[in-house]
Amino acid sequence: MTLLEVEDAHTYYGESHILEGVSLEVEEGEVVALVGRNGVGKTTTLRTVLQLTPPRRGTVRLRGEDVTGRETHEIADRGVGWIPEERRIFAQLSVEENVRVAVPDGRAVGAALDRAFETFPDLRDHRSRDAGTLSGGQQQMLALARGLVGDNDLLLVDEPSEGLAPLIVERVAEALADAAEDTTLLLVEQNLPLALDLADRFYVIDNGSVVDEGDAAETSADDERLRRYLSA
Amino acid sequence: MTGVAVGAVGLDSALADPVVLAGFVDALAEFLRPRNLASVFVDGLAKAALYVMIAGGLTLIFGLMGVLNFAHGSMTMIGAYLGGLLMVLAVGQATGDAARLALFFVALAVTFAALAGLGGAIEIGLVRRLYDRPPVYQILLTFGVTLVLDELVRIVVLFYGMQPTSDWQAALATKPGVLDSSVDLGLVSVPGLDLFEIAIGALTVAGLWAFLTKTRYGLMIRAGSEDAEMTEALGIDVRRVFTVVFALGAGVAGVAGTLLMWDGSWAASVPLAADTLLPAFVVVIIGGLGTFRGTVVAALIVGMADAVTTWWFVNEIEFSGLPEITIFLILVVMLILRPQGLFGVEEVGGH
Amino acid sequence: MIAVFAAYPGLYSVLVNSPVGAEMETVLPQVETMVAVLYFGLFAMSFDFISGYTGYLSFGHAAFYGTGAYFVVLAANGKIPLLGPDTSFVALLVIGGLIAVGLAVLIGAVSFRLTGVYFAMITLGFSQVLYVLVRDWGYLASNPRDGPAVLGRTEPFSIGVPGVDSLDLAIGQLAGESVEGLLGVLEFTATEVSYYMIGLVVLASYFAMQRIIHSPFGKVLIAIRENEERAEAIGYNTFWYKLGAFAVSAFFAAVAGGLLAGFRRSVSPDGTFYFLVTGDALLASIIGGFGTLAGPLYGWLFDEGVTEFLSKRGEGGGLLPYLRDNLGEGLLSTEVFDGLTVGEAINTFLNGHAELYIGVLFVLFVLFVPSGLLGTVRDRVGGPVGEAIASRLRGER
Repeated sequence: MTLLEVEDAHTYYGESHILEGVSLEVEEGEVVALVGRNGVGKTTTLRTVLQLTPPRRGTVRLRGEDVTGRETHEIADRGVGWIPEERRIFAQLSVEENVRVAVPDGRAVGAALDRAFETFPDLRDHRSRDAGTLSGGQQQMLALARGLVGDNDLLLVDEPSEGLAPLIVERVAEALADAAEDTTLLLVEQNLPLALDLADRFYVIDNGSVVDEGDAAETSADDERLRRYLSA
Repeated sequence: MTGVAVGAVGLDSALADPVVLAGFVDALAEFLRPRNLASVFVDGLAKAALYVMIAGGLTLIFGLMGVLNFAHGSMTMIGAYLGGLLMVLAVGQATGDAARLALFFVALAVTFAALAGLGGAIEIGLVRRLYDRPPVYQILLTFGVTLVLDELVRIVVLFYGMQPTSDWQAALATKPGVLDSSVDLGLVSVPGLDLFEIAIGALTVAGLWAFLTKTRYGLMIRAGSEDAEMTEALGIDVRRVFTVVFALGAGVAGVAGTLLMWDGSWAASVPLAADTLLPAFVVVIIGGLGTFRGTVVAALIVGMADAVTTWWFVNEIEFSGLPEITIFLILVVMLILRPQGLFGVEEVGGH
Repeated sequence: MIAVFAAYPGLYSVLVNSPVGAEMETVLPQVETMVAVLYFGLFAMSFDFISGYTGYLSFGHAAFYGTGAYFVVLAANGKIPLLGPDTSFVALLVIGGLIAVGLAVLIGAVSFRLTGVYFAMITLGFSQVLYVLVRDWGYLASNPRDGPAVLGRTEPFSIGVPGVDSLDLAIGQLAGESVEGLLGVLEFTATEVSYYMIGLVVLASYFAMQRIIHSPFGKVLIAIRENEERAEAIGYNTFWYKLGAFAVSAFFAAVAGGLLAGFRRSVSPDGTFYFLVTGDALLASIIGGFGTLAGPLYGWLFDEGVTEFLSKRGEGGGLLPYLRDNLGEGLLSTEVFDGLTVGEAINTFLNGHAELYIGVLFVLFVLFVPSGLLGTVRDRVGGPVGEAIASRLRGER
C-alpha cells in the first residue's frame, strides 16, 4: 500500500502562495529525494505532510487515510518522524534527554537509548552534556538519533548534509543508508550526488510544484533534466 | 540606632556634611554587626521564599507559552482568600497548633487544585484562541481577566460584609501561635513565620524542580518551551502540555496566596493582586524570562535587597518607599545591562 | 463628531428636562463625567500614539500623565523653583509637557534598545520607581500617599488668551467661571465652561497628533510597527523616530495630566503615576481601537459611561436608582434565591461594579473585535468615519 500520498497541495505562509499544487507518492520501503533550488517549496512540502503548515487545498494521505488538517502530533503518532533543517535539537536539554523526549509513551526508554548510542557511539560519551554544546556534526547525529528512536515508518529528512564537513557528511550518509533498510525516507537534499546515491526515486520541485520525476539509478547528477532546474 | 559610638571620625573630615556621614557610618557599623547581618539574612531568605512562590508559576507559563500572564496576581489573591476561607471554617478557638498546621497543608492542597482548575479553564476557554496572534494580545487578554476576577472577588467579599481593601484579620487569626513566637537560632532569634515561609518556599522550589527534571511530563515541558513545533513533531500534544502548565502555574500562585494569607505584611485583600503581580514581574524579568533557575536566583537577589533596604529604612533612612524603589531600580538596571536576564536566552520574549 | 461633543452639554440639559428625563439621566453621562472623558481620553490618545502606531507598548505611560498633573499642582503651591504660584495655566501645561519630553528622552534613550515584552517591562519599571518616589516623598504633599491639593494659588486655572478676560475662562469643579448671557441667550455653568475649555485643548492636541500621524514622520512610525527590520533596511534610523514619537506622546500625556490637575485642583499618586492608570489607557485603546488615535477617547467615554450607569445616586443618575424608583417595592423584595431579594441582587451584582462588566467586555473585544469600536467601523466604511460619511452625503458612493 502507498505509505504517503500528497495530492495537489496548495500551502500558504500568510498570503504568499508557496506550494502551488504539489502531488507525490512514497511507497513503503522506498527512499525518495526532493530536489530543486532554494526556496521552491521542498521544506514546505515536508511541513505540509506534517501539518505544521496545513494545506489550504489538497490532501495528504498516510496509508490511504486522509490526515489533512489533523494535529501535528497525531501525524507523528502515525509513525512519521522529522529530522528538520538546522537540526533543531533542544539545546538546553542534555543529549540523553533529547533522545528520551522522542521515545513515544509506553515504549522502553532504555532500549531506545541503547539503540541510539549503538548507532552513534559519539553521543554516548556526551550523554549528560547540554546538547547545545555539541559540534554541528554531533548535533546532526543527535537529530538523526531522535528520528530513529521514534519507531517511525516514514522519516522526513531535511538537508542532512548542510553545513557539515565532508567527513561528517559521509557518516551521516551511512547512518541514513542504514536507517533506510527498515524505514521509508523522504529526503530533501541540496547535495545532488548524495541525494541520488541514497534515493531510489526523485521528484524535481520548481516554483511550488513538481516539474519532473525519475529513477535515481538511471540518472546522473549531470543530467540535463536536473541541471535545468538546479543551476541558479 | 544607639549601638557603636562615633568611631570613624577620621573619615568624615574630608566630606561636606560630617553629621550625616557620621550617622551613616554609625548605622553601617551597626548594620555590619553579625547579629544584625544574620537577622537581615534570614529575613531576606523568607522574602525570597515568598518571591519565588509568587513568581514561580509566572515563569513556568512564560517559559513554555510565551504568555505574560497578567492574571497571575489575581490568582495569588484568590488563593489567599480561598486558603483563608478554608482555615477560618476549619479552625476554632480551641484548635491546637499542630492541628492548625495540618489543616494549613490541607488548605494548600485544596487551593492548589482549585486554582489549577481555574487556570486550566482560562487556558482552554480564552488564552488558547490567541496563540496565533501577536503576543501583546495575550497580555491584553489576561489583563482583562484580571479586571473580571478582581471585581468578582470584590463582589463576594462585600457580600459577606468585609472590606475588600483591608486585610482579612479572621484569616490572619488562624495562624498558630508557634509561628508568631521567635525561634532562637543561637546568634539571632528570628520569627517562626520566617522559618515556616523559608521551608514552604524551599519545598515548592524542590517540588517544581523535581517535576521539571525528573518526570517525563517535565521533560516535555522543557522541550516544549525550547521549540514547541519540534516537540509537537515528536508526537507530543503540546496544546495539552500548555493547559497543564497554565494550570500548574495558577496552582502555584494559589499556594503562594495561601501562604501570604498568614503573613501580616501581605495578608488576604483584593489589592494583593496588584501588590504581588509587580514583584513577580520583576523577579521573572531579572531571572531571565521563562528560566526557572534564573527565577530562583532572582528571587534570592530581590529578597535580600528587600531585607537589606528594609533594615536601612527601619533604622536609618526615613524614606518608606526605599525597599520598593530598590526592587524596581534593580529591574531597570538589569534591563539596561543585561536585557535577557541572568539566565535568559536572547531571543525569548523579544518581538 | 466634534459637533456632537460641542452640543453635548446643551443636549444633556434639554434631554434630562424632557418627558423622558429620568430615562435620559439614567443612560447619559453627566457633563462633569464628560470632562473626565476629555482629559483622560487625551491621555489614552497619547498612549495610543506611541503604542498603537509603533507597536511599542509603553506600559509606564502613567509617568508622563503624573508628571504633568503634579507639575501643575506643585507650581501652584510654589514648590517649583523659578515659577511663581500664579503662573498662567496654559504656560504650566506647556512647561509640564516639556518636562515630560525631557523625561521621555531619558527613559526612551535606554528603553528603545529593547523590544516587545522587555520594552513594556522597563517602562513599567521606570514609572513604578517614580510612583514610589512620589508616593513617599514628603516634600510633595503633607500626606504624600494621598497627594497634594492646590493650596497657595489665588489665581484660577484658566484657558484662553491671557489678558483678554472674556476670552480667558477659568476651569474647575468649584473654582471655575460660569458664563451668563452670551449672545443674549446662552448660559453656561462652571462645569460646562470647563468642558468647553478643556475640550478646546484636547481638540487642539488631537489635531496636532493627527497631523504628525499623517506626516511622513507618522508613516515611518507605522512602518516600524509593521516591520521594523524593513524600515531599517530602507535606511530609516528607527531609534530616533521611536524616541521622537515617545517624546511627542509624553508631551500630550503631560498636558492631559495638567488638565486633570487644573480641573480637580488635587492629584494623587494612585490616580496618576500608578501602573493601573496606564492599564486604563490600554483598556480605552482596546475598546476604542488600537492605532486609531481618536478611538481611545470613545473607548474611555464607553468606560466612564458604563461606570456612571452602574454607580450610585448622586453621581449622575444610573441604573440602580432608576430601577429602585421604577420597579416598585413588591418586586424589589421578591426572593429570587435562598433569601436573596431582587433588590439585594441588584445591590450586590450591579451597584458600583462596573469594572466587572467592562472587564468582560474588554475580554470579548480582545477575542472578537481586535480592532476596537472605531477600528471596526473604519474597516467597514473603508477609511476615517467622517470622510466616509461626508463622501456618502456628497453622493460619491
